Amino acid sequence: MLRYTFQRIVLALAIVFFAISALYTVMITLPGDPTTVLLGPRATAEIRADFRERMGLDNPVYVQIAQFWGRILTGDMGTDFNRNRPVAEAVLNALPHTMALVFGAIFWSATLGILLGAFSADNRGSWLDRISGVLSVAFIAAPSFVVALYSLLVFSVWLRWFPTIGAGEPGDIMSRLYHLALPSFAIGLAWVGYVARIVRASMLEALGENYIRTARAFGLPRRTVIYNYALRVAILPAVQVLGVGIGGMLSSAVFAEIVFSRPGLGSLIYDSVSGRNYPVVMGSMLVAIGFFVTCALIADLINAALDPRHRSKA
Amino acid sequence: MTHAIPRHLFPAATRRQFLAGTAALGTLSLLPVVAWAQDGRLNVRAYLEPDDYDPLDASGFLEELLYGCIYRKLIQYVPGDEWDWQLDLAESIEQTSPTTIEFRLKEGQMWSDGFGEITAEDVKFSLDRHMVEENNSRIKPDLGTFTHVEVTGTHTGIIHMERPFAPMWTIALPYLAGTIICKEAVEAAGGKITTAIPPAVCGPYRVVEHRLGERWVLERNPDFSGEPADFERVDLIVIVDEAAAEIAREAGDVDFTAIGPASVARLQDSPPEGMQLSVHPALFYTWVGLNMEHPKFEDERVRRAIMHAIDVPSILQAAYFDVAEPATGIIAPGLIGHRPETMIPPQADFARARELLDEAGVDTLQINIDVLNNVTHTTAAQVMQAMMAQAGIELNITVHEGGSFWSLGVAADGDRWQDLELTIKQFSMTPDPYYATAWFVTDQIGDWNWEQFSNEEFDRLHEEALSETDPDRRDEMYRRMQDLMEESGAYRFITHGVTANLYADSIVPATRPDGLPLVQFFRRA
Repeated sequence: MLRYTFQRIVLALAIVFFAISALYTVMITLPGDPTTVLLGPRATAEIRADFRERMGLDNPVYVQIAQFWGRILTGDMGTDFNRNRPVAEAVLNALPHTMALVFGAIFWSATLGILLGAFSADNRGSWLDRISGVLSVAFIAAPSFVVALYSLLVFSVWLRWFPTIGAGEPGDIMSRLYHLALPSFAIGLAWVGYVARIVRASMLEALGENYIRTARAFGLPRRTVIYNYALRVAILPAVQVLGVGIGGMLSSAVFAEIVFSRPGLGSLIYDSVSGRNYPVVMGSMLVAIGFFVTCALIADLINAALDPRHRSKA
Repeated sequence: MTHAIPRHLFPAATRRQFLAGTAALGTLSLLPVVAWAQDGRLNVRAYLEPDDYDPLDASGFLEELLYGCIYRKLIQYVPGDEWDWQLDLAESIEQTSPTTIEFRLKEGQMWSDGFGEITAEDVKFSLDRHMVEENNSRIKPDLGTFTHVEVTGTHTGIIHMERPFAPMWTIALPYLAGTIICKEAVEAAGGKITTAIPPAVCGPYRVVEHRLGERWVLERNPDFSGEPADFERVDLIVIVDEAAAEIAREAGDVDFTAIGPASVARLQDSPPEGMQLSVHPALFYTWVGLNMEHPKFEDERVRRAIMHAIDVPSILQAAYFDVAEPATGIIAPGLIGHRPETMIPPQADFARARELLDEAGVDTLQINIDVLNNVTHTTAAQVMQAMMAQAGIELNITVHEGGSFWSLGVAADGDRWQDLELTIKQFSMTPDPYYATAWFVTDQIGDWNWEQFSNEEFDRLHEEALSETDPDRRDEMYRRMQDLMEESGAYRFITHGVTANLYADSIVPATRPDGLPLVQFFRRA
């Protein structure tokens, strides 16, 4: 297990390094002069020249990338072009909001997806199973921003159950959760469908296994057999899918943060890319990619711990 | 295997339990509504987030929205339908010569946080710092020919200019550059306001908290020397997306927001309960520009043919939902220099366009238009594409995101500026015509003059109009400048658009004539 863990960590670090370097290159070579976009039309040529020099924008791309990694290794993410403040401050301020959003989405998708999948498997072939199948596919097909807009219309405008904007009052956990419910639901809904289909399939497979037949033969209650034995095994593939799905959820978070006007990495990246605020883009991307890779790594390790076949494959 | 609904997933409930559950849910659904109905709190939408509290870094109305609440000026715009100014910190202010303005401050106007009285030294510090090269003030051009403030007493001073500068009264003093900050507090902070909360304010509100990426929380400033603000708390909430802002208003989460033209027609017919809609003529200007130096457009007849082939009413109908009027130039109605009509009528004349192309010996013209990736501009380009085909002009549309688009005509960002053909652009505007013409002088080629329009008479008039103090003469000069722009065949003026505001009927908003909010003057209904 130790060897496997070490291999996965090295691979994760390599992914982060190459992804960030490639992104930096793309970002720098994108058309759009940051001095024009950031300083606005009234900035004089002298102000722009001074800005370029201060921010190291006159250096070749490879020098800028090397400088970026050099700074990262010393724990410095650089300085926000706009606010002249450390990028780490902006990123660390946004990160908890995005993490809450993603984990909220995982909560919705795991809870509803597993329930729906288990229910379908338990009622295989019934009309309830067929309705559940249709619902799952509909959830998968619905884009997050459409779900977000309709959720707002239904739950905020018509019913007035949830707020439309913001992240809640700082220090008030109930207010935070209250503001989190709808955006995390909008992101998580698509994954409810995925998880439900995966849980259903793997549960049906598990229900045909010998140990389930043996449990039944011993006269264990049906509920115990299904939810204590079969479901425990059936949720393993869902854990892995959710681990990898965090990347997708992070992408959806961009829309959710804009539609729900929430602070977070998504809206920070969106604003920074539009404004060519390179240090903030790269700092945010580093953290977002690091977060994604870490979650995928944890999902891999959980799987390996729960199922030794994964370790031996590696 | 049974197909019955499992009891363990859907436990049975008695009628009494069902009724109790329904009642509990009903009560729960009321909670958020109760939470929203908070007296004395005003939520206003900001569409982007200002960088900081220092006027040196200001770039437009984004900052003004916040600064207007927490700082003061010698004079301020008057809310209403006509552009005018009113005294703010100044008890009196007058132009004593073409290059001097004398002012006297009201006595007893205080800074917050124990920084004492506002004096002429604060005025001098606030204006003079824009002229210091190392300070890199982004709004220095707004002060035009301003040189310095001479302090003549604790409450009196003289503003000096190198040459007469007419926009001093319309832009410099009542807008961003005229913002007065506390000398003592800013010097103690190292000469620049980069703190999370401004060290001293003097407006009706003070900053309590800045939730980065989300909102500013302001509360009534107890040290404010004027009439106390009507609201105990004001939240300036960052909502980038227009549709999201409209939904937030309908849900009651914001009290005041601007909405897009697409919603205006719908809401005018049936405004939601408890809401009001106000529509104001905006100041910004949108136009189709043509790069005069591109080989395809060397022949003036080709340029004029393109202008004749653009049907402005169709664009306004499709992209602006018929709520905006055609523009006659770059200067909006109500401002000095506004032209009553264009030389080429807004309606397209395809026969004339074809005729001009034939005269120029052009059979089929293939051209490209670069547009920003917003719905309004891409729709406008698509309308043009469909209409121009009638004159034998094939229009290809290239869509760009903001960062890429706004660098297209900038020489410092590569060679793209030389290859530009047509563009749709929208520039923001202030209530003085010089702000519009400033971007089209020869010096701006390679920066913001993407049409590469160069005209000696235009450049001369632009300089002269800055110093011209006779409003009638200025009006005439700016009209002539727009005539020159149109005669070049490089400009087809589309619209100034509208600003539509949706607000709760529990508030009385205050806006400039162009509809932009002056939150410091908002009142409860």
